[in-house]
Amino acid sequence: MTTIAPTQLSGVTFGGILRSEWIKLMSLRSTIWCYAILVFLTLGLAALFGSTLYVEGMTLDHDTQQTFAVQAVTFSVGMSQLVVAVLGALVITGEYGTGMIRSTLTAVPARLPALFGKIVVFGAVTFVISLVAMVLSALLSAPLLASSGVDVDFADGAYWAALVGAAGFLALTGVFATAVGTIVRNSAGAIAIVLGFVLVLPTIVQIFAAITRAEWVANLGNFLPSNAGSRMSAYIGESAASADPLGLGGFVLEPWQGALVLVAWVVALLALASVLLKQRDA
Amino acid sequence: MIEAVGLSKHYGATKAVDDVSFTVRPGMVTGFLGPNGAGKSTTMRMIVGLDRPSSGQVTVNGKRYAEHSAPLREVGVLLDAKAVHTGRSAVNHLRALGATHGIGRTRVEEVIALTGLQSVAKKRVGGFSLGMGQRLGLAAALLGDPATLVLDEPVNGLDPEGVVWVRNLARHLAGEGRTILLSSHLMSEMAQTADHIIVLGRGRVIADAPVGDIVARSTGTAVTVRTPDAERFAALVASPEVTVTSTEPTLLVVNGLSAPQIGELAAREGVVLHELTPTVGSLEEAYMQLTADDVQYRSNGAI
Repeated sequence: MTTIAPTQLSGVTFGGILRSEWIKLMSLRSTIWCYAILVFLTLGLAALFGSTLYVEGMTLDHDTQQTFAVQAVTFSVGMSQLVVAVLGALVITGEYGTGMIRSTLTAVPARLPALFGKIVVFGAVTFVISLVAMVLSALLSAPLLASSGVDVDFADGAYWAALVGAAGFLALTGVFATAVGTIVRNSAGAIAIVLGFVLVLPTIVQIFAAITRAEWVANLGNFLPSNAGSRMSAYIGESAASADPLGLGGFVLEPWQGALVLVAWVVALLALASVLLKQRDA
Repeated sequence: MIEAVGLSKHYGATKAVDDVSFTVRPGMVTGFLGPNGAGKSTTMRMIVGLDRPSSGQVTVNGKRYAEHSAPLREVGVLLDAKAVHTGRSAVNHLRALGATHGIGRTRVEEVIALTGLQSVAKKRVGGFSLGMGQRLGLAAALLGDPATLVLDEPVNGLDPEGVVWVRNLARHLAGEGRTILLSSHLMSEMAQTADHIIVLGRGRVIADAPVGDIVARSTGTAVTVRTPDAERFAALVASPEVTVTSTEPTLLVVNGLSAPQIGELAAREGVVLHELTPTVGSLEEAYMQLTADDVQYRSNGAI
């Protein structure tokens, strides 16, 4: 009996769970592929935007130049959100699909710390990689934009705030997908639902707004997770008109308001996911 | 020590586990037997909190599994279905599990060596054979050096060397005072490994006793009789209570009479016997008799 002394040894800690989730995230090929695609898209599209922007014989004011500079770096966000959505779903549905979830929940039978550990690690890694990719894109696109008469003002705090906002948007979109994945426990189902939120719903709302020309429909569209979240990367100086391409009027969310709306979506879905994870048999 | 009290699990109207109570004691190997669908796996999942009991409870060393601060150090579990991400290597799987409890690389390397996985440790689990997957499951169960092991079909898919290894490991760990609960469909294997047997049938405990007692309970002990006069002797012993089967011209297997009774009858009738051997009941026979009424999925007819 001398070999058995479990009480003296370390038990489950949140730090240990974070380390475990870090090992899990980084030891799968799907993670490496998705992040590689994310970085490639960010750099590639920034270079494309920077080298093809053509401003004909106009002198742009500072805010317009900065808006173009932000758009160059965040040009990829529309596509990158699909990549992080897929990866975000897979980090949990991959465990359900393979049975790994039973090992995870046996190691952490309290269950919720395992989910939150996963979200913290995945969210933080996605944020950092997205931000690094955008900083690199900023450095890459600035000389290209300069040839089109757009001189990027790196001393402008609002410029960096937009890039941080874009990285935060991608991280939150990923966590949104993880919450959906925890609820539906199936890769194909989770990815379909998240892409429905990101691609299909905004389009449907936009079509309805255009047909009915009803302001409240357009306003409703502002509160969809991807629409609200994409406001996080808006350059503060830009005019309201550019964010309202159909000229429907209505209001436009400030970046911090967009962030709050997306956070509210994520919190609501995580609350549901937590209740289900706690109750259901694994 | 695992204690189940009034443990039940219902799926709609189906009672997978129905008011089950038992105790699995330390220092011995307890075999968990039962036909397919008897509720063994569900009971094992409830022990480690993966399935929530519909009623009743099961504790490990006095606490529910989830209440332990270091569950992996308390209970090691190997479940019947695979519980490993196929895209991850064996060593990373074990590192990720261990990390939750601060169990580091040293212990991971130990269990890899212990289960003979060194050559495939860095390969992705998706390419593993059934036996390799089983060894990885055992490595995960042993990771926390737990005082209690719950092993669902641990020898499933293992080669003969692996089967012997699991048997010796289970015996060795029980000898150290640990609690071992293991299920298997291989009765001969179970007879060699287990000290105590719990038999489930249709979600209920139908036997809970030492292996010796279970085997002794097997009724209808057979007697093998070899005689050159088999045909005549078979007619002599036959009666409604006695069944005689014959697989060779000179060999009879008699059920329902003891060896002395058969010997005396042969002497009275002047039949020459070349062999008279009482066959000791096996765990397999005892199990078949116990579960005869509780088998849900029966194969019909001869092959």
